[in-house]
Amino acid sequence: MIRFAVARGSLVAVVLLLNMGPLGGAGASITGTVKVTGLASSADAVVYVLQAPGSFNPPAKPAEMDQRKMQFIPHVLPVVPGTTVRFLNSDPTPHNVFSPDNEKYNLGTWPEKETKDYTFNKCTKVPCVYTQLCRVHAEMEGYVVVLQNPFFAVTGKDGRYEIDNVPPGSYSLGVWHAKAKFQPKPVTVEAGKPAVVDFTFAR
Amino acid sequence: MRRKSILVCGFARIAFVVLGLLATASTARAVPAFARKYQTSCQTCHIVFPKLNAFGEAFRLRGYRLPGETEEMVKQPPVSLGAPAYKKLWPQAVWPGEISSSVPLAVNVKLADMNTSSLNEDGTVSTVKNDLQFPQEVNIFGAGTLGDHVSYLSEVTFGENTDGSVSVELEHAHMGFDSPFGPEDLFHFRIGKLAPNVVDGLQEMWLSTNAGIDSLFGYNPIGFNGGTGLAEGVSPAPISIPAIVRGIEGYGIIRHRALWVAGLANGIGPSATDASGRFDGNSAKDVYARFDYKIGGMGLDGDTGGQPVPEKNWRDNSLRLGIFTYRGDGSNIDFSLTTDLGARRNIQDVHFLRTGLYASLFIQDLNVFSAYLHGTDSLQVFNPVTAALLGAIEPDYHAWFTQADYLIYPWLQAGFRYETLTPADPSVPSLRTSVANLSALVRANVKAMVEYQRDLREGDNHSLNALLRFAF
Repeated sequence: MIRFAVARGSLVAVVLLLNMGPLGGAGASITGTVKVTGLASSADAVVYVLQAPGSFNPPAKPAEMDQRKMQFIPHVLPVVPGTTVRFLNSDPTPHNVFSPDNEKYNLGTWPEKETKDYTFNKCTKVPCVYTQLCRVHAEMEGYVVVLQNPFFAVTGKDGRYEIDNVPPGSYSLGVWHAKAKFQPKPVTVEAGKPAVVDFTFAR
Repeated sequence: MRRKSILVCGFARIAFVVLGLLATASTARAVPAFARKYQTSCQTCHIVFPKLNAFGEAFRLRGYRLPGETEEMVKQPPVSLGAPAYKKLWPQAVWPGEISSSVPLAVNVKLADMNTSSLNEDGTVSTVKNDLQFPQEVNIFGAGTLGDHVSYLSEVTFGENTDGSVSVELEHAHMGFDSPFGPEDLFHFRIGKLAPNVVDGLQEMWLSTNAGIDSLFGYNPIGFNGGTGLAEGVSPAPISIPAIVRGIEGYGIIRHRALWVAGLANGIGPSATDASGRFDGNSAKDVYARFDYKIGGMGLDGDTGGQPVPEKNWRDNSLRLGIFTYRGDGSNIDFSLTTDLGARRNIQDVHFLRTGLYASLFIQDLNVFSAYLHGTDSLQVFNPVTAALLGAIEPDYHAWFTQADYLIYPWLQAGFRYETLTPADPSVPSLRTSVANLSALVRANVKAMVEYQRDLREGDNHSLNALLRFAF
């Protein structure tokens, strides 16, 4: 599961890199651990490069967020601006998707195996965090986080993350978490040389 | 002759009440629902249950939340009743909350072997030997939190009567709103049937005595010359200082060290002849207040100031001082009495004031605590037929107790208490009682206790009781 989470973040980044504009070529990974003391789990923190030069096209295929077993899966989905997210319903009960954040939207309610799409192209100042809620099941909660570039990853339960193929350069690395705020940290990426950045936050 | 009668009656009363409290009084709480929620031992919060250590007192005052509580401390994750983001939608959506993932119930069972001796009005002595009250009392608690700012406590007590019937009493049922605004722990509010923080902070007293502190809570201030002794079977229940109220209370902790309390309560219940079904005897409300300050030890909110906490978590070298007051209004609430000549009279306690001081000193394994209470009453006597005012007096009384608890081992505690009450009626001498107690934790949640009580004025009034109490 942890591997899946790390791999998922890497996969998204790789897919997005294939679509990116000016940057490319050999890069290196940024790895590390995010620890939020006081929380039951350090999962679902988004670690991301605050600003990378150039512009980045959204992926051709929609990203997916499922509603399964009364949960948004993945719980946190980072995307670049313009990404279309396909919301699935894999439960036998109807689900709704709406967000009270930013431009606000309500996609309505739909039954099992049907989907609705929403394109996140109205974010004016990244990161834009969209809480995903279900009117039918008030306890359900997920997040779509719109970021400037595709160099991001989502932590697993152990707090580990890995961002692949980051072009060489100096960046600020940020962390978004639903229950904690982190100060960005500087990181320098050299070709073929993984960088390690750890974050700790005490609630 | 009258004086002797009153005296004998007083002896019998104190004997009855002190010895009978095993079957009636309980505000002591040990709630294993919390142990389950946090997967922690009773010893985290209790010294010898139900007596709280400083950490447990902070847990209580913070609305049943651990000092510095974080999500990872809660081993039974709650069930969400709404995503936190719904707060953004209020009032277009219900404010989100949560409930515990398991039913937050706990049970206390008390078994007692009673041995009592009491002097009767006719000069004879009644004795009871080895009356096995198995069980004497069963308490069912429901307690916990409902999200960040709401808490609750309820307690239902079942007692078996000698005729086999069962008495049921709803002792607590209140909801708390904790730190709904302002700095953390500065404002808490409780509403319902609750033990007012006027006395709840004195709960060290509930440890080594299975009896309550009658001198504070059990005094009956009603009498033609003022109160004569302890209340028993008086309807409505007169107020010395109430152990339980129906009301609303605000309290908070200031800078870790000071506790403020202000409350409003129904007060005395309706007259015995009042058939309206209401709980309050009149429309006036009683008010109370308290202010405490703690020097040394752990803060009242569990703050340690960055200092290391003693490994022996019952130690809390500190001095806590407090002042409290309760003002009540008993106008239009009749207490029916009969004069020596057989004439019926109604007495009203038009208004009454109780003020007191409290101190608790912890030195290593020793805890000495004490409270003093002074009460004044404004009693008016009426003709029950014509409602004519026949007279008025303003008697006063005072009472105090001091108790020392010493922890011999972490599982064994010895306690001794002395208490005295000087009733308002000058013809009645002061009541003086002593209690010696040995409490042993067989397990963290099983307590065995031997307790000896003695009326220091009358040697025939005494008791030696053994108790076994367990909580799960």
